[in-house]
Amino acid sequence: MKKDLARSPVTALAVVAVLSLSAAPVRGQVQPEGGGVAMVSLEKYKAKKSGPTPRTADGKPDLSGLWGPDPNLLGDISHALKPGEQLPLQPWALKLTKERLSKDDPMANCQPSGVPRMAPYLWKIVQTPKLIVFLYEANMHSYRQIFMDGRGHRKDTDPSSYGDSIGKWEGDTLVVDTVGFDDKFWFDGVGHPHTEKLHVIERFRRPDSAHLEFEVTIDDPGAYTRPFTLFEHSPLMVNTEIMEYFCSENNQDVSHIIGKGRTIPE
Amino acid sequence: MKIKLSVLVAGLSLLVPAIPALAHHSFVAEYDGKRPVTLSGVVTRVEWTNPHARFYIDVKDENGNVTNWNLELASPIALRRLGWTRDFLEVGSVVTVFGSLAKDGSKMANARTVTLADGRKMEAGSSAPNK
Repeated sequence: MKKDLARSPVTALAVVAVLSLSAAPVRGQVQPEGGGVAMVSLEKYKAKKSGPTPRTADGKPDLSGLWGPDPNLLGDISHALKPGEQLPLQPWALKLTKERLSKDDPMANCQPSGVPRMAPYLWKIVQTPKLIVFLYEANMHSYRQIFMDGRGHRKDTDPSSYGDSIGKWEGDTLVVDTVGFDDKFWFDGVGHPHTEKLHVIERFRRPDSAHLEFEVTIDDPGAYTRPFTLFEHSPLMVNTEIMEYFCSENNQDVSHIIGKGRTIPE
Repeated sequence: MKIKLSVLVAGLSLLVPAIPALAHHSFVAEYDGKRPVTLSGVVTRVEWTNPHARFYIDVKDENGNVTNWNLELASPIALRRLGWTRDFLEVGSVVTVFGSLAKDGSKMANARTVTLADGRKMEAGSSAPNK
């Protein structure tokens, strides 16, 4: 139910309307809690019109564009599972998740988000036949390269935040296979962990011009008892651009963060 | 005139949505959404920086004691998308801020709205509430 509310643009607009009505600052009055609709500030930049899937000269779907974040990849990845499903955490991973505190969240410390976590900012896909690039405004100010030239995974690199990605087309679906991750980043603000055994398979589709849908299959036998899949979507954004966001410039927050902002349901 | 201005401000507040969740950190672990505060004072410094723009104001209490408060806004790029420009806040200007107090008791708050002496009011891109 909560997920449905968060995903509904109509509900989001209703929340905006209610918050706007109650936004006048009155001393001593408790502000209503607003429902955590992460996308609200970007609402006016969502494309209002949609058309057919754009295609490149070779007939492949063209995923190029400026995309918004999926709110379910911001706070708790379990919100992006199929309804009723739970994350298959191994006991140690569940224990670690509960122990992690918000002050230690890598993103609070301006460290990279890793995959598939997103920041509540924009990202851009630049597509060429042999190379697809993801540019992130705020993950933190990072990029991913998806090699489309048929190469295999590299074996000469150290584990890293974004790993080593190779891609191929299966019909109209871009399939991205990524390994070579380090174990430093958290999947979300709750602190769901992973290990260097992490293997991520992402399947991207652009069913029409204004929407990007993707499924992210997480296979990490080091921390989870079986693979699981997250279901995501990003809206096309217009009338803005990705801009600089170097989080390390003036990060004063960490020393004031207390406890755990997000917890997992018992 | 005064009535007309307040009507105008009320009208604008209908058009400008409240903006949750634009932080790189957990809001609820740093600020208390249930402890709202209204602060009026003189701007002493503006930091148009990432991950959060900040500004500092001197607030005088009824006994004349002055306290400097550190007020957190959204990031500059989020503020841009909300219609801010970096000269909206200027050192020396008088502002009224509505926000949420820091949980650790420091003289910090997360701003929800900032109102200038001339009545211009901006949403501050607060990430509250972000649960």
